[in-house]
Amino acid sequence: MDYLYSILILIGLFIILASSFDLVIGHCGLISIAHPIFYAIGAYVSAMLAKHNIMPIPLAMLSGGVVAFVASALVAVPALRVSGDYLLIASIGFQLGLIELAKHIHEIGGAGGLTNIPSFLIRDYGRESYVVLVLVLAGLTVLFIKWLTQGPYGRMMAAMRDDELAFSMLGRNAIWVKVSVFGIGSGIAGIAGGLYAHYFRFLEPDQFGLLQSSAVLTMVVVGGLRTAWGPVIGALVLQLMPQMITFFNLPPSVLGPLQGLIFTGLVLVFMFKRPQGLLAAPVIWTGKAPEKRGA
Amino acid sequence: MFDVAVVSQILWTSFATSSYFVLFAVAFALVLKVNKVFNFAQAGVMTCGFYAAYVAVRLLEWPGFAGLLAGIAGALLMSFILEYFGFAVLRQRKASPMFVFIFTLIVSQFISYAIMLVFGTWPTTIFASMFWPVTLVGGIAVSAWDVPAIAATLVVLIALWVFLRFTRYGQFMLAVADNADLAELYGIQKNKVLMISMLMAGVIVAIGMFLYGSRAQVQAAAATELMLFAVASTILGGIGNIWGAAVAAIILGIVQNSSILFIPSAWQGFLLYAFLFFAIVLFPRGFRLPERANKLKRTIRAPDALVTKQEG
Amino acid sequence: MAVLEIRNLCKSFGGIVVADQIDLDLKAHGVLGLIGPNGAGKTSLFNLICGVVPPDAGSITLDGLSMEGQPIHERARLGLARTWQTLRLFPSLSVIDNLMLGPRDYSADRLIDVFLRPTYIAQREREARQRAEYILERTGLIAIKDSPVMDITYGQQKLVGVARALMNEARCLLLDEPMAGVEGQTYALIQKVVRDLAESGVAICVVEHNVAFIKDLCDEGVFMFAGKVLARGSVDQLIADPHLTELYFGT
Repeated sequence: MDYLYSILILIGLFIILASSFDLVIGHCGLISIAHPIFYAIGAYVSAMLAKHNIMPIPLAMLSGGVVAFVASALVAVPALRVSGDYLLIASIGFQLGLIELAKHIHEIGGAGGLTNIPSFLIRDYGRESYVVLVLVLAGLTVLFIKWLTQGPYGRMMAAMRDDELAFSMLGRNAIWVKVSVFGIGSGIAGIAGGLYAHYFRFLEPDQFGLLQSSAVLTMVVVGGLRTAWGPVIGALVLQLMPQMITFFNLPPSVLGPLQGLIFTGLVLVFMFKRPQGLLAAPVIWTGKAPEKRGA
Repeated sequence: MFDVAVVSQILWTSFATSSYFVLFAVAFALVLKVNKVFNFAQAGVMTCGFYAAYVAVRLLEWPGFAGLLAGIAGALLMSFILEYFGFAVLRQRKASPMFVFIFTLIVSQFISYAIMLVFGTWPTTIFASMFWPVTLVGGIAVSAWDVPAIAATLVVLIALWVFLRFTRYGQFMLAVADNADLAELYGIQKNKVLMISMLMAGVIVAIGMFLYGSRAQVQAAAATELMLFAVASTILGGIGNIWGAAVAAIILGIVQNSSILFIPSAWQGFLLYAFLFFAIVLFPRGFRLPERANKLKRTIRAPDALVTKQEG
Repeated sequence: MAVLEIRNLCKSFGGIVVADQIDLDLKAHGVLGLIGPNGAGKTSLFNLICGVVPPDAGSITLDGLSMEGQPIHERARLGLARTWQTLRLFPSLSVIDNLMLGPRDYSADRLIDVFLRPTYIAQREREARQRAEYILERTGLIAIKDSPVMDITYGQQKLVGVARALMNEARCLLLDEPMAGVEGQTYALIQKVVRDLAESGVAICVVEHNVAFIKDLCDEGVFMFAGKVLARGSVDQLIADPHLTELYFGT
């Protein structure tokens, strides 16, 4: 049963991660694959705050999201002032650099990992309650992003993707939009990190490296960029598929690379054979249903 | 505290070890300049080059020189596959830069996982031993690796310079780098030139990986870090400037290796990311991105081209 | 007082001079035509005014406010609007959505409003939609307001480009070849819209290749050559000048 709960929770968390990543890479068109590092920041911050009894766990989780939000701005502001390409390099540097840094800080467990993170909800209400919490939050994330991208802000992102110069000439601040969206996406990932930390109660820096980046990217690309349900399907498929491999009882030295190979191989296949993903996004941005638009 | 002998020893060793950094940086800068791609798949090419040499020398027990050729062959094959089945297809499809970039990143990850499956995750070297005999030159220990490595790097750099400067295809490459569309109008076969530039970068990184792998341990994921070093050098050296990248790589190499004097060795690995960050945050303004530089050139060129058209 | 004042504006790319000590005033109620051969620096001047490229020297003021160092979007928010030679519409948006991004301050410019002031956003969206519909009515595009911009004719796209710039309620409007490739009814429509706008007090500057278009559209012309303003006067005067004609058509 615990195994099933873990999988459900991971599916929920990956739905949150993939949806928020889709907001950044799909809707806003920002090239960055460092999403897991903001997940990591949220996880570590929340875990440390709770471990040292600085604040109650729900607040700690929120703080993790806030810190991830702020950290993302620290990366995005200098990089985006130059160009979109720099964001990618800056964020990869930030991701790998921070992982390297975390390995050397004893206070957060170093390379060995952070253990004994306090758990949340489970002791009082059972594991089922945590599953419900994560899945509800996953659903809310999907709905939130759908709402945001179909409103006037979504219209801005669509136009900015099309033609940034013309977009600026209308008086819209493209850099500000990018920094904001990058921040929101990263903040959501940070909250997901907190949810991870207080269920699995163990964190190690290497979890949040390029393997995780490829996994989240795969979910979005396979599911379909800029679709509300694409990341959900991507998260389901890619979370369940590796679970099936685990039934073959392969040694961990083979299992890890094999999973990586599947993730990256799938992205490659989709990039060349079906670039739009399983669910194709509509070409034209339509916003909310016309009857809701008001007269 | 800093003994002159110690300092000069560290400086010399740092200088020698920056030789492969230079090669990686030059290859990265070349592809960025000509093909206009931040080619993170270079890490994959590097990995292929290394493991081809490793198989030849360690498993098949070929001599070192044959190992180098095997490494070059491996890197060439991977570069060819990348360009022919990857970049060329994406170009034809007019894929967005983001798409191309993700492709390069994913390919390099894919290769590293494939290599892990085949060769495991243990680090290894091209030769059974990575200790090289040492000669004392004026109080400085010079290893038998240092001089050939520096010489090989110099030969590659000179060859590249001669190629770009004096050969037909070298000129074509510069023309494509300058303005690919215009070059095509003049009858230069763009696809062929882009393929050659990828293959040349493949040869260069294969030599670099051979040097690196005969001195340090390599595992499937190691190339990523080496490549990020090349990225930092390329940005610092000024995008579009191959020789600038080479100089930046030497400087960064010396700083990183001699950092042992100032910071604990455990933190040395972290320095790379600090470089990358500084390069982007402090020095980006002076450097134009290939896309932008290109647009600028077009605004200059367009009038001439149009004027000639009107006259004709 | 001039709406847009350009003083001593200089810019060169490498060795090529695209703006050479340009002084230029755009007055309210006036339509000024920029004439000159290809490469004279007309579009470059627009790019300098809009902040797409930074000048090497010189100043530009809009309603007395210096625009030095201001990014493109800030200039637009001060009341500067332009159209593009290549149109640059947003292909993934419908006609009306292209327009709705055009107001000087857009409903969702501040993200915090999106989250905390839904009624304010709804109100602004309604206003923008009303204005967009009014402009579409005037430009004869109302029937196709929900079509994707890639599905309409070139003439209609051209009108959408102008209509989108009108959403700004700009003080100064720069039109880059608004008439090229347009004929018949659309031509007359653009002409009427531009004239009406000038009458309402907007300062307008037009780049056109075809001298006939300039004559139909502008009160006054400026002749540019190699980044310099060589002459200013009525369009007929400029055309009559044999020296300028020679420069224009080359020898």
